[in-house]
Order: sequence, then C-alpha cells, then structure tokens
Amino acid sequence: MNIIETKNLTKSYGSFTAVSNVNLHIRKGTVYGFLGPNGAGKSTTMKMFLGLTRPTLGSFQIDGKTFPNDRVAILKEIGSFIESPAFYGNLTGEENLDIIRRILKLPKHSVKDALELVGLTEFKDRPAKKYSLGMKQRLGLAGALIGHPPILILDEPTNGLDPVGIHEIRTLIRSLPEQYDCTVLVSSHLLPEIELMADDIGILNHGHLLFEGSMEQLKAYAHENGYPTDNLEQTFLALVDEDNQQLLRKKIEKRGKRS
Amino acid sequence: MTQTPTIGFFQMLPLECKKLKRTGCLPAVVLCGLFAAAFPLANMLVRPEAFTTLPGDPLSILADANWQMIAMLNILLSICLCCIMYHTEFADRGIQKSETLPVKAHLLFLGKGTILAVSGIVVILTECAALGFCALHWFPAYTFDSSAAFALLKFAGFQWLMLLPTMLLMLCIASICSNMWTSLGIGIILTFTIYVFPQKNLLLGLLPFSTPYHLLSESVSADQTLLYPAACAAETILFALCGAIYPSIRRYHS
Repeated sequence: MNIIETKNLTKSYGSFTAVSNVNLHIRKGTVYGFLGPNGAGKSTTMKMFLGLTRPTLGSFQIDGKTFPNDRVAILKEIGSFIESPAFYGNLTGEENLDIIRRILKLPKHSVKDALELVGLTEFKDRPAKKYSLGMKQRLGLAGALIGHPPILILDEPTNGLDPVGIHEIRTLIRSLPEQYDCTVLVSSHLLPEIELMADDIGILNHGHLLFEGSMEQLKAYAHENGYPTDNLEQTFLALVDEDNQQLLRKKIEKRGKRS
Repeated sequence: MTQTPTIGFFQMLPLECKKLKRTGCLPAVVLCGLFAAAFPLANMLVRPEAFTTLPGDPLSILADANWQMIAMLNILLSICLCCIMYHTEFADRGIQKSETLPVKAHLLFLGKGTILAVSGIVVILTECAALGFCALHWFPAYTFDSSAAFALLKFAGFQWLMLLPTMLLMLCIASICSNMWTSLGIGIILTFTIYVFPQKNLLLGLLPFSTPYHLLSESVSADQTLLYPAACAAETILFALCGAIYPSIRRYHS
C-alpha cells in the first residue's frame, strides 16, 4: 500500500520547471531514498508535500488525504526536516522542542525522548544559536522525530554531521519503520548512505523522475541498459549523465530546427 | 497523534510569549514605559511654573505638554517590538518550522498582535500613571477621586486605541520583510515622514503613525469624539486581516 502517491506533480517558476510530471509511489513502512543532483527538484517536491509551496499542475495524496483541502490533517502526520535546520535561536534546544510538542499536543516526556534519540540531552539547556552545525542538525532532526510521526520527510538530514553522527542517524532512520511503523522519505547526496538505508529509491534529474523502484530493480534496470552496477553511486552518475546528454541533444536539435 | 484537534488561539498565545524569551522584548517594554513616564516628571521638575499657571484641566495640560514625545517613544517601541518578534521567526527559519506544523497560519500573526497590544496597554498605563502623579503632585486643585481615575483610564484607553493601527501596520511590514533591517528602516521612515505632515489635516491625521499623536482633548474640542476611535478601530481590523491572510498568500505563491 502506498502512503504517498503523486500524479503528474509539476511545479514551475515562470518559464523554469523545477518538477515535471513526477509520479512517485512511496510504500508504507519503507525508507524511500530520493536522489538527484543539486537543483533536480527534490526539495521542491518535499516542500509541496508539506504545503510550503503549491503544485502548478498535478496532485498528490498522503495517507489518502489531498492538498490543499487536508493541509493541516496531512501536517499532523508528518515530521519534517527541509534543507537546513529550522529553529528559534534565542530558545534552548529543549524549549524549541517544547513548542513543537505543545503544537502537536504530545505528552511532556516526548521532548526528553526526542533529545535522547538524537543525542542532545547534554546540551538541552544551551540556546540553539550557540549550537555547532552538527548540533543544529540534530535539533532539526529531533523536531522531525518528536512524537514518532507516521511519515518522516527528511531533506539532507546528515549534512554537517561527522562520520559518527552520520552513522548514528543512518542507523536511526533504518530502524524507524520497524520500531514505529514509520515511512521515511529521505534525500541525500551521500549515495552510499542511501544504498545502506533505503528500501526503494527515486532518481530525479532536471525535475524528471528517471527511475523509481527497489535497489534490486535498479540493478536490473542498469544491467539492461548497460550502466555500471557496481554500486549506487556509479549507476546514479551514469543515469544522470545519460539524461543530461539526451537533454543537450534535444536542445541542439531545437536550435537546428529554428535556424 | 492524528486524532488530536488543531491548536487554537488561546493555546498559541503562550507559545508566542515563550518565543520572546531572551529577545529583550520585555525589558524594552518596561524601559520604554519608564523612560516615557519619566519625561513628564522631568518636565515638571525642571519648569513647573510653565504648566501650573495654565488654566484648564491638569491632565489635559500635562498631556498637551508631553504626549508628542511620549507618542514618538511609543511608536519607536512598537517598531522595535515588531522587528524583534519577526526577526526571531526569520533569523533561524523558525517560521518555516511553524509552517510545517499543523497550525493555522494566521494564529502566529494574531498571537504576536495580541502581545503587542498588551504591551501597548502596559506602556500607556505606566505613562498615564506618571501623568496622574504629576497632576496630583504639582496641581493643588487636582484631586484623585473616582471621576479623575475614570478620566485617566478613558484617556489611556483612547491613546491605546490611537496606537493600535500603527502597531498592527508595523507588524504587517515586519511579517513581510524577512530582513529585520528592512522593516526597521521602513518603520523609521514612516515615523518621520508622517511626523512632518500637518497634524491639522483630518485625512493625514487619521493615518497610522499619525494617530498616536492625537489627543483625546483635541477630539473633544473639535467635536470629533467618535471619528478617531472609529477610524482607528477600522484600520486595526483592516491591518489585522491583512496580516492574518498574508501567510497563506505567501505560501501559495512561493
């Protein structure tokens, strides 16, 4: 059963199309790795799921609910971390999470639980603006994880973390579906990380979905099309490179027709 | 988690207060109130005969002599509070986190507006207390009975209503500009631009940033007791609506 489904999801800014006719199918209780180079449209897609920006065309369903009619109901089910940590710098880590807790009407212990989960208990009384980059990242993650939401949307959650931190977060994300029956949509530039934690992956380039399926399906697809299958990074680079060359050829053809 | 109802205005208000921790908002309100209250006291200490010899109601005499300066301080305080309130939202993208939580977008603005309005009450009551003290101390004919207390409260209420449109317009500006210095600049420019407008012009006098200088006694003498409060109430509602609607517009068109 798919908990998130998009139908021809498109987002344009003037003449620039950031996301073009994307059809995603995210299965319940899985970790979905969302891959793509910078500017591919990953964050824009995630922002649309959170109601931070409106789709130009197409639609999406999250747990049977549609946007914009069920915006608040959708947000009740999602814990999110988009682009970089968002918090109130003048408040301590604990106070930041307490605000989220009160909005979500969660029990008091959920703040402590979230702090423990990301390893910030020791620094809970320090104003968030005095946190290091890694600590801010952890605070952002705690804000997403608090109350164990059924859906997690994480955009580059390991940015700024040291290798130990990356390992901890990867292990945590990997354990979430089993522990809390949680569905995770995670984007990352660290392809080996995605390879280790994702059940399914979606590859986006220039707003187009190039591939969607399980890791095994990707390997089979790569094998069929003559792409390297050694690891996800090689396959990803070959797929994106091929797509970029196709786009370039189309542009040259268009110019040729015009002249 | 999915069954809980959405947070309401009265649950959001304490959260908005909490967000102001360590921002300097509370000290700013207290200090501005005390500084503005000290102005009539200093005036009376330095040149009491300039006011005690004047005929008329002591409260009106004191207000005429001091309110221009007090109103200016109140406007500057409003600008600072609005800028600080939204700076905490924009600086570390706290506002984006709020937008991804199940909260009605307008509650954030209305919560801040309410805090601002309450700050206005605190400051104006402090200033009116100082005026009352000066009247009692330096004008022997002035007695502080129930009618005097009512007159003082009526004056405070009127001046608070005159300040509200300025506060809410400034809050709208601060909510639009993600850079605090932009909203601060706009506020300061509006303060000094409108200050040089002729106060006698009715239309210009009804503009935000101009109404805080208008006194209750001026309305009474010009037979316009209801005009200014009605205009300020309408402006307040208009700016509150604009500020409440704007977050949805911004989100949908981003």
